[in-house]
Amino acid sequence: MASESTPSVVELKLPCKPEFVGVARLTVLGIAGRMSFSYDEVEDVRLAVGEACTTAVERAVKANKTDTDISIIGSILGNKLTIEVRDQAGHPIDAADKPQTTEVEELDEQGLGALLMELLVDEFNVESYEDGTIVRMVKYAE
Amino acid sequence: MATRKRSGASTWVHEDAESLFARYAETKDKKIRDRLVVMHQNLVRFLAGKFMNRGEPIEDLVQVGTIGLINAIDRFDPERGTKFSTYATPTIVGEIRRHFRDKAWSLKVPRRLQELNLASNKAAENLSQKLGRAPTIQEIAQAVDATEEETLEAIELGNAYETVSLDTKLAYEGESAPLSLAEFVGESDGSLENLEKYGDLSQAMDCLDQRERSIIYLRFFKDMSQTEVAKKLNISQMHVSRLQQKALKRLKDLLSD
Repeated sequence: MASESTPSVVELKLPCKPEFVGVARLTVLGIAGRMSFSYDEVEDVRLAVGEACTTAVERAVKANKTDTDISIIGSILGNKLTIEVRDQAGHPIDAADKPQTTEVEELDEQGLGALLMELLVDEFNVESYEDGTIVRMVKYAE
Repeated sequence: MATRKRSGASTWVHEDAESLFARYAETKDKKIRDRLVVMHQNLVRFLAGKFMNRGEPIEDLVQVGTIGLINAIDRFDPERGTKFSTYATPTIVGEIRRHFRDKAWSLKVPRRLQELNLASNKAAENLSQKLGRAPTIQEIAQAVDATEEETLEAIELGNAYETVSLDTKLAYEGESAPLSLAEFVGESDGSLENLEKYGDLSQAMDCLDQRERSIIYLRFFKDMSQTEVAKKLNISQMHVSRLQQKALKRLKDLLSD
């Protein structure tokens, strides 16, 4: 089937500002809602994407880069949902993909946020490129 | 990890947690565990907070998350050198997600959306009349006391969960007049509740002494008068009255607990 070999892609560009994180979450609802995910699985993906955007916005605020964009690229291929959150807000200070280095008592929210994302989706990785960070998440339906 | 040096108050707390874990691993002293649980409440709260907009009270989430925390404390090996928050987060999140999974049968989440959907539709109608134009999402959100995101979600998704009228006719084979859905809706069974009460009562009866029990039995299960009971037990009617009063008060106290 054609739909099995060509992914359906939804792309969204948002300002890297806190008030737009909700738009990302809504978009993910629209995308994941088209697949055979359970309600809670959809919520898990939304939470993970929300976290990815929130950490991007936090970095943007710190680096004074809130005039940049966040791109959300969702693609559906069969039962596989891939969501990429790409920002231009610099890099995670302490490599967000290594939450092992977080401090217990002061709750390194960035590190825990990354760990949370990892728990909520089936595949998760963080990549840095020149301007920012790409968080890539995969969740399989059924 | 033990050699990590930091300045200020957090160093003290940090080392304190570490030495507590070491002592707990050794002694399994519940008091130490309690202190560790309290110490990491903010971790549970932080994680529970992330799951807040799924229609479950945050306190419930903190509670199930704390169960995860306790399990993590029990299994944590401080010798391994892993940070406790890193170690505990999957366990805590696991408990919270399990809570949602277990709750799924109650259809709680769709119902929340459904209610919000109904409320939003109604608010939209009222606002259009009042304003003389279609209201904005912000205005509707404000009217139903929800965030814009929730409102949009409810409007968008709420329609998917179709409400069925109680008057919907359900036709069954071989039945002349179709029955409405309402006639199939169950109600709470009073006799079940009575059964439970009987159970409680018989337990409470066991707490009475032999004579009190006989009086209660003869008076209320055999429908005998106080005089008849008095004759049967060979005591005065006044005495029966007094003992009965005492026994009833006792039963009431026991059952009200």
